[in-house]
Amino acid sequence: MIRPEVYKFFADYVFGHTGISYKEQDYYRLDGRFNTLIKKFELKDVEELYRLYVQKITPEMHQVLIDLCTNNETYFMRDLKPFKGFAKEGMEYLKEEFPTSFSYQIWSAACSTGQEPLSLLMATEAFGQEGDAAKLRVEASDISANALDKAKKGLYTGLEVQRGLPANLLIKYFSQVEDNWQIDPKLLTRIHFKSFNLLNDPFPKNHYHVIFCRNVLIYQDIENKKKILDKLCQALKIGGLLFMGAGESLIGVDLPMEQKQLGKAFCYRRKS
Amino acid sequence: MKVLIVDDSKPIFLMVSQMLTELGHESVWAENGQDAVEKVKENPDLGLVLLDWNMPVMDGLQFLQKNEGEGFCEAPIVMMTTENKPEKIQQALKHGASDYIMKPFTADIIENKIELVCD
Repeated sequence: MIRPEVYKFFADYVFGHTGISYKEQDYYRLDGRFNTLIKKFELKDVEELYRLYVQKITPEMHQVLIDLCTNNETYFMRDLKPFKGFAKEGMEYLKEEFPTSFSYQIWSAACSTGQEPLSLLMATEAFGQEGDAAKLRVEASDISANALDKAKKGLYTGLEVQRGLPANLLIKYFSQVEDNWQIDPKLLTRIHFKSFNLLNDPFPKNHYHVIFCRNVLIYQDIENKKKILDKLCQALKIGGLLFMGAGESLIGVDLPMEQKQLGKAFCYRRKS
Repeated sequence: MKVLIVDDSKPIFLMVSQMLTELGHESVWAENGQDAVEKVKENPDLGLVLLDWNMPVMDGLQFLQKNEGEGFCEAPIVMMTTENKPEKIQQALKHGASDYIMKPFTADIIENKIELVCD
Protein backbone atom coordinates (compact mmCIF):
# COMPACT_ATOMS: atom_id res chain seq x y z
CA MET A 1 0.00 0.00 0.00
CA ILE A 2 1.54 3.28 -1.09
CA ARG A 3 0.98 6.17 1.31
CA PRO A 4 -0.96 9.18 -0.02
CA GLU A 5 1.86 11.55 0.94
CA VAL A 6 4.28 9.55 -1.25
CA TYR A 7 1.94 9.88 -4.23
CA LYS A 8 1.44 13.55 -3.46
CA PHE A 9 5.18 14.25 -3.26
CA PHE A 10 5.85 12.81 -6.74
CA ALA A 11 2.65 14.25 -8.25
CA ASP A 12 3.54 17.73 -6.95
CA TYR A 13 7.11 17.46 -8.24
CA VAL A 14 5.99 16.43 -11.72
CA PHE A 15 3.32 19.14 -11.78
CA GLY A 16 5.81 21.80 -10.70
CA HIS A 17 8.26 20.92 -13.46
CA THR A 18 5.98 19.98 -16.35
CA GLY A 19 2.48 21.13 -15.51
CA ILE A 20 1.29 17.55 -16.00
CA SER A 21 -1.38 17.10 -13.42
CA TYR A 22 -1.95 13.84 -11.50
CA LYS A 23 -5.07 14.28 -9.41
CA GLU A 24 -5.83 11.94 -6.51
CA GLN A 25 -8.00 9.71 -8.69
CA ASP A 26 -5.07 9.42 -11.14
CA TYR A 27 -2.47 8.46 -8.54
CA TYR A 28 -2.63 4.78 -9.57
CA ARG A 29 -1.04 5.82 -12.90
CA LEU A 30 2.16 6.52 -10.98
CA ASP A 31 2.44 2.91 -9.71
CA GLY A 32 4.09 1.51 -12.87
CA ARG A 33 6.42 4.49 -12.97
CA PHE A 34 7.46 3.88 -9.35
CA ASN A 35 8.31 0.27 -10.27
CA THR A 36 10.48 1.43 -13.16
CA LEU A 37 12.30 3.89 -10.90
CA ILE A 38 12.80 1.20 -8.21
CA LYS A 39 14.42 -1.10 -10.79
CA LYS A 40 16.45 1.70 -12.35
CA PHE A 41 17.98 2.77 -9.02
CA GLU A 42 18.09 -0.80 -7.64
CA LEU A 43 15.95 -0.05 -4.62
CA LYS A 44 13.83 -2.25 -2.34
CA ASP A 45 10.45 -0.57 -2.47
CA VAL A 46 8.50 2.68 -2.91
CA GLU A 47 9.37 3.87 0.58
CA GLU A 48 13.08 3.66 -0.23
CA LEU A 49 12.42 5.49 -3.51
CA TYR A 50 10.52 8.19 -1.63
CA ARG A 51 13.34 8.63 0.91
CA LEU A 52 15.87 8.90 -1.94
CA TYR A 53 13.90 11.61 -3.74
CA VAL A 54 12.99 13.52 -0.58
CA GLN A 55 16.65 13.66 0.43
CA LYS A 56 18.07 15.08 -2.81
CA ILE A 57 17.04 15.04 -6.45
CA THR A 58 20.07 14.84 -8.73
CA PRO A 59 19.81 15.98 -12.37
CA GLU A 60 19.74 12.30 -13.43
CA MET A 61 16.92 11.47 -10.96
CA HIS A 62 15.01 14.52 -12.19
CA GLN A 63 15.33 13.58 -15.87
CA VAL A 64 14.41 9.92 -15.35
CA LEU A 65 11.27 10.92 -13.46
CA ILE A 66 10.27 13.53 -16.05
CA ASP A 67 10.90 11.11 -18.92
CA LEU A 68 8.70 8.52 -17.26
CA CYS A 69 5.86 10.91 -16.56
CA THR A 70 5.64 12.55 -19.97
CA ASN A 71 3.41 10.82 -22.45
CA ASN A 72 5.36 10.22 -25.65
CA GLU A 73 2.43 8.80 -27.57
CA THR A 74 2.69 9.97 -31.16
CA TYR A 75 2.73 8.70 -34.70
CA PHE A 76 3.46 9.84 -38.23
CA MET A 77 0.82 12.09 -39.85
CA ARG A 78 -1.24 11.98 -36.65
CA ASP A 79 -4.84 12.93 -37.55
CA LEU A 80 -3.60 13.56 -41.13
CA LYS A 81 -5.83 16.63 -41.77
CA PRO A 82 -3.49 19.19 -40.11
CA PHE A 83 -0.59 17.99 -42.23
CA LYS A 84 -2.51 18.04 -45.49
CA GLY A 85 -4.10 21.38 -44.57
CA PHE A 86 -0.74 22.88 -43.69
CA ALA A 87 1.00 21.52 -46.79
CA LYS A 88 -1.61 22.74 -49.26
CA GLU A 89 -3.73 25.66 -48.03
CA GLY A 90 -1.38 26.56 -45.16
CA MET A 91 1.60 27.13 -47.42
CA GLU A 92 -0.51 29.23 -49.79
CA TYR A 93 -1.74 31.28 -46.83
CA LEU A 94 1.83 31.89 -45.62
CA LYS A 95 2.91 33.10 -49.06
CA GLU A 96 0.04 35.63 -49.15
CA GLU A 97 0.29 36.70 -45.51
CA PHE A 98 4.08 37.06 -45.51
CA PRO A 99 4.88 38.04 -49.11
CA THR A 100 8.40 39.20 -48.32
CA SER A 101 9.42 36.04 -46.46
CA PHE A 102 11.61 33.59 -48.34
CA SER A 103 11.49 31.03 -45.54
CA TYR A 104 9.11 30.19 -42.71
CA GLN A 105 9.94 29.49 -39.09
CA ILE A 106 8.07 26.40 -37.93
CA TRP A 107 8.06 25.06 -34.37
CA SER A 108 6.98 21.59 -33.37
CA ALA A 109 6.71 22.49 -29.69
CA ALA A 110 6.21 19.02 -28.24
CA CYS A 111 7.77 16.80 -30.86
CA SER A 112 8.17 13.70 -28.69
CA THR A 113 10.12 11.10 -30.72
CA GLY A 114 10.20 13.23 -33.87
CA GLN A 115 7.27 11.98 -35.95
CA GLU A 116 5.51 15.38 -36.06
CA PRO A 117 8.33 17.52 -37.56
CA LEU A 118 9.26 14.72 -39.98
CA SER A 119 5.61 14.44 -41.02
CA LEU A 120 5.49 18.19 -41.63
CA LEU A 121 8.43 18.00 -44.03
CA MET A 122 7.23 14.83 -45.76
CA ALA A 123 3.66 16.14 -46.10
CA THR A 124 4.85 19.45 -47.54
CA GLU A 125 6.92 17.61 -50.15
CA ALA A 126 4.12 15.11 -50.88
CA PHE A 127 1.06 17.38 -50.87
CA GLY A 128 2.46 20.91 -51.30
CA GLN A 129 3.93 22.67 -54.28
CA GLU A 130 7.42 21.89 -55.50
CA GLY A 131 10.02 23.78 -53.53
CA ASP A 132 7.72 24.57 -50.59
CA ALA A 133 9.37 22.14 -48.18
CA ALA A 134 12.75 23.80 -48.77
CA LYS A 135 11.30 27.05 -47.38
CA LEU A 136 10.59 25.53 -43.97
CA ARG A 137 13.00 26.14 -41.11
CA VAL A 138 11.90 23.55 -38.58
CA GLU A 139 12.63 23.61 -34.87
CA ALA A 140 11.42 20.73 -32.74
CA SER A 141 11.47 20.53 -28.97
CA ASP A 142 10.41 18.30 -26.14
CA ILE A 143 10.82 18.12 -22.39
CA SER A 144 11.82 14.44 -22.44
CA ALA A 145 15.52 13.73 -23.02
CA ASN A 146 14.76 10.12 -23.98
CA ALA A 147 12.21 11.18 -26.57
CA LEU A 148 14.61 13.75 -28.05
CA ASP A 149 17.44 11.20 -28.23
CA LYS A 150 15.23 8.91 -30.25
CA ALA A 151 14.02 11.80 -32.43
CA LYS A 152 17.61 12.78 -33.24
CA LYS A 153 18.46 9.20 -34.27
CA GLY A 154 15.46 8.94 -36.60
CA LEU A 155 15.37 5.14 -36.27
CA TYR A 156 11.88 3.63 -35.94
CA THR A 157 10.43 0.14 -35.58
CA GLY A 158 8.22 -1.52 -38.18
CA LEU A 159 5.19 -0.79 -36.02
CA GLU A 160 6.12 2.88 -35.60
CA VAL A 161 6.62 3.56 -39.31
CA GLN A 162 3.31 1.92 -40.14
CA ARG A 163 1.27 4.05 -37.77
CA GLY A 164 -0.09 6.74 -40.05
CA LEU A 165 2.66 6.75 -42.66
CA PRO A 166 1.59 5.84 -46.22
CA ALA A 167 3.77 3.11 -47.76
CA ASN A 168 4.86 5.35 -50.65
CA LEU A 169 6.37 7.81 -48.16
CA LEU A 170 7.94 4.95 -46.20
CA ILE A 171 9.91 3.71 -49.19
CA LYS A 172 10.68 7.23 -50.35
CA TYR A 173 12.15 8.53 -47.09
CA PHE A 174 13.28 5.49 -45.09
CA SER A 175 15.83 2.76 -45.56
CA GLN A 176 15.55 -0.59 -43.86
CA VAL A 177 18.10 -1.40 -41.18
CA GLU A 178 17.47 -5.02 -40.15
CA ASP A 179 13.93 -4.88 -38.73
CA ASN A 180 13.96 -1.11 -38.22
CA TRP A 181 13.64 1.87 -40.54
CA GLN A 182 16.03 4.82 -40.72
CA ILE A 183 14.77 8.20 -41.89
CA ASP A 184 16.71 9.82 -44.72
CA PRO A 185 19.49 11.88 -43.03
CA LYS A 186 18.84 14.69 -45.52
CA LEU A 187 15.40 15.14 -43.97
CA LEU A 188 16.50 14.61 -40.39
CA THR A 189 19.31 17.15 -40.54
CA ARG A 190 16.82 19.81 -41.63
CA ILE A 191 15.25 19.71 -38.16
CA HIS A 192 16.87 21.55 -35.28
CA PHE A 193 16.05 19.57 -32.13
CA LYS A 194 16.28 21.11 -28.67
CA SER A 195 15.19 20.46 -25.11
CA PHE A 196 12.40 22.79 -24.04
CA ASN A 197 10.02 23.06 -21.09
CA LEU A 198 6.79 24.73 -22.23
CA LEU A 199 5.87 25.66 -18.69
CA ASN A 200 9.08 27.22 -17.45
CA ASP A 201 11.43 28.10 -20.33
CA PRO A 202 11.34 31.60 -21.88
CA PHE A 203 9.68 31.75 -25.30
CA PRO A 204 10.92 33.91 -28.19
CA LYS A 205 8.50 36.68 -29.18
CA ASN A 206 6.99 37.34 -32.64
CA HIS A 207 9.25 34.67 -34.08
CA TYR A 208 7.33 31.79 -35.64
CA HIS A 209 5.12 31.65 -38.70
CA VAL A 210 3.59 28.37 -37.54
CA ILE A 211 3.55 26.46 -34.26
CA PHE A 212 2.35 22.90 -33.86
CA CYS A 213 1.53 22.22 -30.21
CA ARG A 214 -0.73 19.23 -30.26
CA ASN A 215 -1.99 16.89 -27.56
CA VAL A 216 0.01 18.57 -24.83
CA LEU A 217 -2.38 21.01 -23.22
CA ILE A 218 -4.92 18.29 -22.44
CA TYR A 219 -2.57 17.15 -19.68
CA GLN A 220 -2.37 20.64 -18.14
CA ASP A 221 -4.72 22.27 -15.65
CA ILE A 222 -6.59 25.34 -16.85
CA GLU A 223 -4.19 27.83 -15.27
CA ASN A 224 -1.10 26.32 -16.93
CA LYS A 225 -2.99 25.84 -20.17
CA LYS A 226 -3.75 29.59 -20.25
CA LYS A 227 -0.16 30.43 -19.35
CA ILE A 228 1.31 28.25 -22.13
CA LEU A 229 -1.23 29.40 -24.71
CA ASP A 230 -0.50 33.03 -23.91
CA LYS A 231 3.22 32.40 -24.50
CA LEU A 232 2.56 30.42 -27.68
CA CYS A 233 0.43 33.27 -29.00
CA GLN A 234 3.18 35.80 -28.32
CA ALA A 235 5.78 33.51 -29.87
CA LEU A 236 3.87 33.66 -33.16
CA LYS A 237 4.27 36.49 -35.62
CA ILE A 238 1.06 38.44 -36.18
CA GLY A 239 -0.73 36.42 -38.83
CA GLY A 240 1.04 33.25 -37.68
CA LEU A 241 -0.80 29.97 -37.17
CA LEU A 242 -1.20 27.67 -34.18
CA PHE A 243 -2.17 24.03 -34.74
CA MET A 244 -3.55 22.22 -31.71
CA GLY A 245 -4.64 18.60 -31.13
CA ALA A 246 -7.95 17.26 -32.39
CA GLY A 247 -9.57 17.53 -28.95
CA GLU A 248 -8.04 20.88 -27.99
CA SER A 249 -9.34 24.41 -28.51
CA LEU A 250 -9.04 27.99 -27.28
CA ILE A 251 -12.55 27.92 -25.83
CA GLY A 252 -12.48 29.74 -22.50
CA VAL A 253 -9.12 31.37 -23.22
CA ASP A 254 -9.06 35.08 -24.03
CA LEU A 255 -6.38 35.60 -26.67
CA PRO A 256 -6.14 37.73 -29.85
CA MET A 257 -6.57 34.66 -32.03
CA GLU A 258 -9.24 33.56 -34.47
CA GLN A 259 -10.11 30.16 -35.82
CA LYS A 260 -9.03 29.51 -39.37
CA GLN A 261 -9.87 26.64 -41.69
CA LEU A 262 -7.21 25.22 -44.01
CA GLY A 263 -8.72 22.50 -46.17
CA LYS A 264 -10.24 20.06 -43.70
CA ALA A 265 -8.01 21.27 -40.86
CA PHE A 266 -8.69 23.92 -38.24
CA CYS A 267 -6.05 26.08 -36.62
CA TYR A 268 -5.81 29.48 -34.92
CA ARG A 269 -4.44 32.68 -36.45
CA ARG A 270 -2.83 35.40 -34.35
CA LYS A 271 -4.77 38.63 -35.07
CA SER A 272 -2.75 41.22 -33.19
CA MET B 1 -17.76 -0.63 -44.47
CA LYS B 2 -17.37 -4.13 -45.90
CA VAL B 3 -13.76 -5.38 -45.99
CA LEU B 4 -12.50 -8.42 -47.91
CA ILE B 5 -9.69 -10.18 -46.04
CA VAL B 6 -7.64 -12.35 -48.38
CA ASP B 7 -5.41 -14.70 -46.38
CA ASP B 8 -4.86 -18.46 -46.45
CA SER B 9 -4.64 -18.52 -42.66
CA LYS B 10 -8.01 -18.74 -40.95
CA PRO B 11 -6.57 -17.63 -37.54
CA ILE B 12 -5.28 -14.46 -39.20
CA PHE B 13 -8.64 -13.88 -40.87
CA LEU B 14 -10.37 -14.28 -37.50
CA MET B 15 -7.92 -11.93 -35.76
CA VAL B 16 -8.19 -9.21 -38.41
CA SER B 17 -11.95 -9.68 -38.62
CA GLN B 18 -12.18 -9.13 -34.86
CA MET B 19 -10.09 -5.95 -35.15
CA LEU B 20 -12.34 -4.69 -37.95
CA THR B 21 -15.50 -5.50 -36.01
CA GLU B 22 -14.18 -3.38 -33.13
CA LEU B 23 -13.59 -0.56 -35.61
CA GLY B 24 -17.19 -0.90 -36.82
CA HIS B 25 -16.54 -2.77 -40.08
CA GLU B 26 -17.88 -5.99 -41.57
CA SER B 27 -15.57 -8.72 -42.96
CA VAL B 28 -15.67 -11.23 -45.79
CA TRP B 29 -13.02 -13.96 -46.15
CA ALA B 30 -11.22 -15.25 -49.23
CA GLU B 31 -8.63 -18.02 -48.86
CA ASN B 32 -6.46 -17.04 -51.81
CA GLY B 33 -6.27 -14.70 -54.79
CA GLN B 34 -8.53 -16.84 -56.98
CA ASP B 35 -11.18 -17.03 -54.26
CA ALA B 36 -10.82 -13.26 -53.83
CA VAL B 37 -11.63 -12.65 -57.49
CA GLU B 38 -14.96 -14.44 -56.94
CA LYS B 39 -15.63 -12.65 -53.64
CA VAL B 40 -14.98 -9.25 -55.24
CA LYS B 41 -17.53 -10.05 -57.94
CA GLU B 42 -20.07 -11.31 -55.38
CA ASN B 43 -19.64 -8.21 -53.20
CA PRO B 44 -19.85 -5.04 -55.28
CA ASP B 45 -20.23 -2.97 -52.10
CA LEU B 46 -16.69 -3.72 -50.85
CA GLY B 47 -14.96 -0.70 -49.34
CA LEU B 48 -11.50 -2.21 -48.93
CA VAL B 49 -9.42 -5.33 -49.69
CA LEU B 50 -6.71 -6.49 -47.28
CA LEU B 51 -4.46 -8.79 -49.30
CA ASP B 52 -1.83 -11.30 -48.17
CA TRP B 53 1.13 -11.90 -50.47
CA ASN B 54 2.09 -15.56 -50.08
CA MET B 55 -0.90 -17.82 -50.72
CA PRO B 56 -1.53 -21.02 -52.73
CA VAL B 57 -3.41 -21.08 -56.07
CA MET B 58 -3.09 -17.34 -56.72
CA ASP B 59 -0.84 -15.12 -54.61
CA GLY B 60 -1.35 -11.48 -53.74
CA LEU B 61 0.90 -10.10 -56.48
CA GLN B 62 -0.88 -12.24 -59.11
CA PHE B 63 -4.21 -10.89 -57.84
CA LEU B 64 -2.93 -7.32 -58.22
CA GLN B 65 -1.65 -8.05 -61.72
CA LYS B 66 -4.93 -9.67 -62.75
CA ASN B 67 -6.80 -6.63 -61.45
CA GLU B 68 -4.39 -4.33 -63.30
CA GLY B 69 -5.36 -6.03 -66.55
CA GLU B 70 -9.06 -6.50 -65.89
CA GLY B 71 -9.98 -3.79 -63.40
CA PHE B 72 -12.63 -5.86 -61.63
CA CYS B 73 -11.92 -4.46 -58.16
CA GLU B 74 -12.85 -0.84 -57.51
CA ALA B 75 -12.13 -0.93 -53.77
CA PRO B 76 -8.66 0.18 -52.63
CA ILE B 77 -6.32 -2.76 -52.02
CA VAL B 78 -3.94 -2.75 -49.07
CA MET B 79 -1.30 -5.47 -48.84
CA MET B 80 -1.08 -7.21 -45.46
CA THR B 81 1.92 -9.49 -45.42
CA THR B 82 5.12 -10.67 -43.75
CA GLU B 83 7.05 -9.50 -46.83
CA ASN B 84 8.75 -6.38 -45.51
CA LYS B 85 11.49 -5.51 -47.99
CA PRO B 86 11.29 -2.06 -49.62
CA GLU B 87 11.49 -3.64 -53.09
CA LYS B 88 8.41 -5.76 -52.32
CA ILE B 89 6.51 -2.70 -51.12
CA GLN B 90 7.57 -0.85 -54.26
CA GLN B 91 6.44 -3.77 -56.43
CA ALA B 92 3.00 -3.96 -54.79
CA LEU B 93 2.44 -0.19 -55.12
CA LYS B 94 3.55 -0.32 -58.75
CA HIS B 95 0.91 -2.96 -59.47
CA GLY B 96 -1.92 -1.03 -57.90
CA ALA B 97 -1.84 -1.55 -54.13
CA SER B 98 -2.96 1.65 -52.39
CA ASP B 99 -0.96 0.97 -49.26
CA TYR B 100 0.94 -1.71 -47.39
CA ILE B 101 0.75 -3.29 -43.94
CA MET B 102 3.66 -5.37 -42.70
CA LYS B 103 2.97 -8.19 -40.26
CA PRO B 104 3.04 -7.98 -37.30
CA PHE B 105 0.64 -5.08 -36.95
CA THR B 106 -1.89 -3.73 -34.48
CA ALA B 107 -5.52 -2.65 -34.77
CA ASP B 108 -4.57 1.03 -34.76
CA ILE B 109 -2.35 0.47 -37.82
CA ILE B 110 -5.34 -0.95 -39.70
CA GLU B 111 -7.39 2.02 -38.50
CA ASN B 112 -4.71 4.46 -39.73
CA LYS B 113 -4.47 2.76 -43.11
CA ILE B 114 -8.26 2.81 -43.54
CA GLU B 115 -8.18 6.54 -42.81
CA LEU B 116 -5.40 7.02 -45.37
CA VAL B 117 -6.82 5.04 -48.27
CA CYS B 118 -10.54 5.60 -47.73
CA ASP B 119 -10.36 9.36 -47.00
